[in-house]
Amino acid sequence: MGSDTVEYPETDKRPMPDQKISPDALKVWRIGAVIEFLVFALVPMAYWWLSNQVEFLPGWILYLIIAAYLLYGIFNTVLFPKWQWRRWRYKIYENEVELLYGILIVRRVIIPMIRVQHVDTEQGPLLRHYGMASVKITTAATVHEIPALEESKADEVRDHIAKLAREADPDE
Amino acid sequence: MSDYKRQHPVSIFVSFFSNVKQLLITGVVLLFFGSSQQRGPWYYLIILIFLLLFSSVSGFLYWLTFRYRLDDRELHVRHGLIFRKKRYIHQDRVQSIDLNAKLIQRMFNLVEVKIETAGGGDEPEFRIIALKREEAEEIRHELLYGMRKSEPDSYEYEGEDGAVYDVGEYQDKETPKPVQYQAKERKEPDHRWKLSGRRLLAAALTSSGIGVAATFVGAAFSQIQQFIPEAWYETALGFVLQSSVRFVISFVILVLLIAWVIRIISTLLKYGNFTIEKTGDEIVISRGLLERRQLTLNRRRITAVRVVQNVLRQPFGLVAVYVESAGGGTKDEDLSTILLPLCRESEIKGHLEALAPEYSFERPMTGLPGKSMFRYMIRLAVPVTAAAALVTYFIDYGAFSFIGLALAAGLGYWQFKDAGIGNNEQFLWMRSRKFARTTVIVPRSRIQTVEITSHPLQRLNGLTTLEVSILTSITGKTFSLQHLGEDQSVSCFRWFSYEESDSRGSDPGGKLN
Repeated sequence: MGSDTVEYPETDKRPMPDQKISPDALKVWRIGAVIEFLVFALVPMAYWWLSNQVEFLPGWILYLIIAAYLLYGIFNTVLFPKWQWRRWRYKIYENEVELLYGILIVRRVIIPMIRVQHVDTEQGPLLRHYGMASVKITTAATVHEIPALEESKADEVRDHIAKLAREADPDE
Repeated sequence: MSDYKRQHPVSIFVSFFSNVKQLLITGVVLLFFGSSQQRGPWYYLIILIFLLLFSSVSGFLYWLTFRYRLDDRELHVRHGLIFRKKRYIHQDRVQSIDLNAKLIQRMFNLVEVKIETAGGGDEPEFRIIALKREEAEEIRHELLYGMRKSEPDSYEYEGEDGAVYDVGEYQDKETPKPVQYQAKERKEPDHRWKLSGRRLLAAALTSSGIGVAATFVGAAFSQIQQFIPEAWYETALGFVLQSSVRFVISFVILVLLIAWVIRIISTLLKYGNFTIEKTGDEIVISRGLLERRQLTLNRRRITAVRVVQNVLRQPFGLVAVYVESAGGGTKDEDLSTILLPLCRESEIKGHLEALAPEYSFERPMTGLPGKSMFRYMIRLAVPVTAAAALVTYFIDYGAFSFIGLALAAGLGYWQFKDAGIGNNEQFLWMRSRKFARTTVIVPRSRIQTVEITSHPLQRLNGLTTLEVSILTSITGKTFSLQHLGEDQSVSCFRWFSYEESDSRGSDPGGKLN
């Protein structure tokens, strides 16, 4: 027990993944966030409507909701996408894929090629408009996504992973 | 097509009763939460009669339209009145076959057959709800062993080898099958273990999950007041107001006691007659006093072993052992299968040696770095402090609730102390505690992904959480260990990485996969 970590020497580090995702991802995420922002406007509106119907609902809560709404909007459209994009890294090795992402909670994942069940590329209307696609990697237990790559790059990544996954299979 | 068979007619009652059970639950929920005074009793009676009628008709139709046929190594099933459905379940797709006998089935000496197939889809499992035991055994044998049974070794191979072999078998093996089947049946299992009466009792007395039962009992109590005469209620209320603390404590104790008794009884019923038998790679677990369940588990499909020691069992050094497996597993056990309901900690190694030998080894562990102790303690202390502060503010003797703070910090320290991780070439094991202490042992070849996460507070101390995902029955399951040192996590990454370690551990999956 305690802090004796003899088996884990401090110097034994593993290199971080170094491939970035497409810079245009920022645009797509921001547009998505703006749409979300507009949809969420229903919340203060609903409260406003309700407070007109019901006598005892105090007005100051409306201002609170609006403030929270605006604050959330700013964070969600301006700051979060930027942080998110800055953090996102991936790397495709011969035998595994490594991902690193997340703003508050930082996640680092290893997906061995032999565990990859299938790889897809996906495009929503926004991603398509900017000529991008996301790559989805599925294992028997989990699903992982590289959210935005240039279309050709995404195809290349997908085929590359699919090929490596196929080749990796027999041994283990 | 005339040789399609129907289920035993008792299945009508079975599906009828299971419908009624569903209705009862809904009814009770409605009674508790609905405002029942507004409409007359006729209203409910009519609905009730209608629903009973409906479920008996649907039970009958289900029996009428459900037909099956056992072809060689394939089960053909067709059912549905308006939307006809045909389903062929081939041996190669079968993950596990469980035979269960619930109360009604037992009265007629019937069983329910549950077949789990590979490859998800919308219905990963399949049921025939009432069959004669012999027929069920026949289906089980055909689908599990089928043509392959004459040469037990061939079961070791899968994929191409197996297929080629089976085709060879196929031609000259039409008639002698029943004989072979009989011979196989008579064979004694390689290993057999029975949960002794004393152990069953001990398991029942120390079973956990009182919390759930207690919530239920508490909820029931809170409803009882509706049925108590007004006068009693007022006297009781007066009593409550006079001596609130003592009353609350005795009420809590009463609820816990009742919940405990419920747990004891349900554990006795669930694990009574627990027997485990191993033949080749097949592990067959039979259990249950009222409901007989028989689960079949393939040793090679085990994806993780979990050793769980709850707080009540800890003083006696007793543990329960669960396995996760791809295919098999019951919903009421969180998709795991219980392998040993109760045994001594020192016996685990021996049992695993007999049941799943690759899991039987010493497991030295390293603890977490000292700085994570603070994280464990603070994580529990903060919400407790907040709650205690609120309670103190609103209730007279509320300050007593700060005792909870000491308990929380103590539990946190305990969690820290018991947390640990270790690995060898082929296995990773992690120990952690929420209330119960759980050790999970995962083979490297069964891990789907490894993930290191860290939230900002952890990053302040250079701590991380390790998450290991494996495949269970239908979906994945993730085990995590919180507040590891970063170096520990990264070294686990390196251990798992197929990039840097290809030369090492070249045959962990050779036997397992």
